[in-house]
Amino acid sequence: MIESQRHSYHLVDPSPWPISGSLGALATTVGGVMYMHSFQGGATLLSLGLIFILYTMFVWWRDVLRESTLEGHHTKVVQLGPRYGFILFIVSEVMFLFALFRASSHSSLAPTVEIGGIWPPKGIAVLDPREIPFLNTLIPLSSGAAVTWAHHAILAGKEKRAVYALVATVSLALVFTAFQGMEYYQAPPTISDSIYGSTFFLATGFHGFHVIIGTLFSIICGIRQYLGHLTKEHHVGFEAAAWYWHFVDVVRLFPFVSIYWWGGI
Amino acid sequence: MAEIELKTAPGDYRFPTTNQSRHCFTRYVEFHRCVAAKGDDASECDKFAKFYRSLCPGEWVDRWNEQRENGVFPGPL
Repeated sequence: MIESQRHSYHLVDPSPWPISGSLGALATTVGGVMYMHSFQGGATLLSLGLIFILYTMFVWWRDVLRESTLEGHHTKVVQLGPRYGFILFIVSEVMFLFALFRASSHSSLAPTVEIGGIWPPKGIAVLDPREIPFLNTLIPLSSGAAVTWAHHAILAGKEKRAVYALVATVSLALVFTAFQGMEYYQAPPTISDSIYGSTFFLATGFHGFHVIIGTLFSIICGIRQYLGHLTKEHHVGFEAAAWYWHFVDVVRLFPFVSIYWWGGI
Repeated sequence: MAEIELKTAPGDYRFPTTNQSRHCFTRYVEFHRCVAAKGDDASECDKFAKFYRSLCPGEWVDRWNEQRENGVFPGPL
């Protein structure tokens, strides 16, 4: 088949994963609504849907991996697709997180009469931005440096060193998440404590969720690097993970400056 | 026949918008801060009382008075 192909585009084989992912999403949505309205079987349908989506993600990505790494379908021109696609995905993520920070700024720049016209609202004990919040801004930035180290190692063909660099990237990410968990556990406000708690936990929580996604992405890259999937010339998966990771660590600066620092003193 | 002088609170540059809710609230807070600092019968505080009474809806004042009594008023007193 490859022999007869006179172009460098990848014509994909029929695959069951789009429909299985769609059915999983449908079950998750319906199950989620049923669960939140205390319908019988809601939790079961929701769990089934989520398992279905996770299964689809696993097998679909496994197929893409086989097509690219083992069958060589990802030619130079094919690589452009996932690159542009991933950049657009990150742009949409930036807009999503911007909305959350905007909600926080909207509530804090001109606090309403209902919360006494002051920010933080009366009785809200805020965290000292110079303690864990500052440390937890430096850690993702350092992790971003480590992922650049991994990139250089891959480009230089130093395979082992790239694995070490990715281990460093992931370790720093895990330290960040552990500190963030500790901060949430010890923080005096809860998500139900006025508009402060709502915007604080929504913004920092979604950032933390993205850190966890980026950590998983980096772990996958580390494993693939260890297995020799990534080469000097071809490592689109790693590039996407590095872009994502830089997006996550740069985004951390916004809650640090506007929520923890400006909004907390 | 004596003329009755009708006056509302003067314009305040801190509150240039049409919506004067924040103006009302601030005058209410200023009155209570004034009374807290100068005593209940200080005449300097009268103007703040006039301002907030002419700007604020009565229900708001009732609610804030209640909040102050219960110690849950959110403003910077």
